[in-house]
Amino acid sequence: MSRWLGLVALTAAALVLAVVLGPAHVALADLTSSDIVRTLRVPRALLALLVGGSLAVAGTSLQALVRNPLADPFLLGLSGGAGLGAVLALALHVGGPWGLPVAAFAGALGAMALVYRLGLVGGAQLDPRILLLAGVAVGAFAGAITTAIVSLAEAAQLRNAFLWLWGGLSGASWNTVFVMAAYIPVPLIVLYAAARPLDLLALGEEPATHLGADVEPLKRRVYLAASLLTAAAVAVSGVIGFVGLIVPHIARLVWGHRHRSLFPAAFLGGGTLLLFADTAARVSVAPRELPVGIVTALVGVPLFAALLRRWTRG
Amino acid sequence: MRRLLLASLLAVSCRPAADRPASAVPPPAQRIVSLAPSATELLFALGAGDHVVGRTTWCRYPPAALRVPDVGDGLNPNIEAVVARRPDLVVLYKSQLNESAAAQLHRLGIRSIVLAQDRLEDVARGARLLGPLVGQARAGDSIAAAIEGLLSAPPPPSHVRVAFVVWDNPPMVIGAGSYLDQLATLAGATNVFHDLRSASATVSLETIAARDPDAIVTLSDSTAPPPYASRPEWRAIRAVRERRFIMLPADLFGRPSPTAPTAVAALRRTLEAEVPR
Repeated sequence: MSRWLGLVALTAAALVLAVVLGPAHVALADLTSSDIVRTLRVPRALLALLVGGSLAVAGTSLQALVRNPLADPFLLGLSGGAGLGAVLALALHVGGPWGLPVAAFAGALGAMALVYRLGLVGGAQLDPRILLLAGVAVGAFAGAITTAIVSLAEAAQLRNAFLWLWGGLSGASWNTVFVMAAYIPVPLIVLYAAARPLDLLALGEEPATHLGADVEPLKRRVYLAASLLTAAAVAVSGVIGFVGLIVPHIARLVWGHRHRSLFPAAFLGGGTLLLFADTAARVSVAPRELPVGIVTALVGVPLFAALLRRWTRG
Repeated sequence: MRRLLLASLLAVSCRPAADRPASAVPPPAQRIVSLAPSATELLFALGAGDHVVGRTTWCRYPPAALRVPDVGDGLNPNIEAVVARRPDLVVLYKSQLNESAAAQLHRLGIRSIVLAQDRLEDVARGARLLGPLVGQARAGDSIAAAIEGLLSAPPPPSHVRVAFVVWDNPPMVIGAGSYLDQLATLAGATNVFHDLRSASATVSLETIAARDPDAIVTLSDSTAPPPYASRPEWRAIRAVRERRFIMLPADLFGRPSPTAPTAVAALRRTLEAEVPR
């Protein structure tokens, strides 16, 4: 119980810090009336929570699905597809405030469909190993096309397209928060409902079947829900690494392997890590800003190493 | 057949370098390949446009430059395409990506010159360096003198605060390292990101909002406001809410150029019309 209280307190602290701290000076008394806080900091903090949480849950479920600790939300080709979509939108001058996110989302869905189709190549069964290989292959293929487009584009556009791909939350607004908040409950609920069968799947596909899990539909549901979560995250914030890889492991070290508690813990943990990382990205080199993916790696890896040491000793 | 032709061209282009006595001043270049938009503009301004036989895909100014054959990129250039133009002088942009190109040209016996073209001072220095090489030393001196005069005159008192936004996601602005910051100062404006020493940097939207520029300046040939103007997060910035955008045409403002005095005068007029004192 105290673990949960601690995590919720940490999340609350991260939210407060993200709203109070920033490169611009806003007096504490003006916090509620400041335009900067209301239109920029609060939606950005909420988006960090939603994106970080989604990535961590997607990572948790994919690691369980392919039974590989190295799986992360972007391993299955989604970042490559989203990047290709985004770069195409930039190259074709697709305008409008939603041009880039929608193109990135479409690209991620395209990659997902392709990987899914390849995953079924051996027959009606979704083979996790083939899924992994297909993800890496589709990602590399999309990446090659992206690089070809970028290298033929003008120098300034080239650099900027890659900057977007490194990820960041500067596109946050109340609109993006509402879209994310309306979108992610469905895949989150689908994954949470699969918590118990996913526990069984950890034993292997055959034992899981013997214990009553309906493995084939389970694998498809989990793969599609995790991919849809990731596609939304990449559409609003680019490719933010390490959250989806490391937070599931941290959650497993503290909460064990039961997905019923693992999913909520990963969601809050991922959101909290991204909140802290984004605050650091905004404040540490102000007035400049660091790409948030760099900070998630710098913060997440030592945290993970420390926990790993404690865990292996205990 | 083509390959044979290319080989003989290579032989021809190598010979003068081998025969030339080391101490003699080389004759003015007759066939110049220019591998930077700013260098192409400078060569035409020097009056050497007729001798430019190759340019990059991105060299689009002056319009006469479009008639020059395109040899591709200026960074990490296609040496074979460059050499096929039989140049006796190649102008390269100063960048680590171009070091191997300079070395390859040297091995082929083709004279090359590497020019930094990032600041207004570079235009003056480039004009003085390039002028004698293309037989236009006096034109080079006069361009350099005009730029140096512009830079040494005391700038007018600043009455407008601007931010140069070059990209929206992530938001990137121009810092003191860019010639655009120099143009702003000379035109009587203050770049609110003058404290950033680099040419450009990623910043938070809230930093732009807090520094509260009077106008957002963007390089664009269109007069319509940029697409991000209607996005809610950008509307935290007063200049965006009030739609104070200044669009600078790329021909005049897109690179450090000999036309900097004209650009400064145009920017000063725009600023006074847009944001009255």
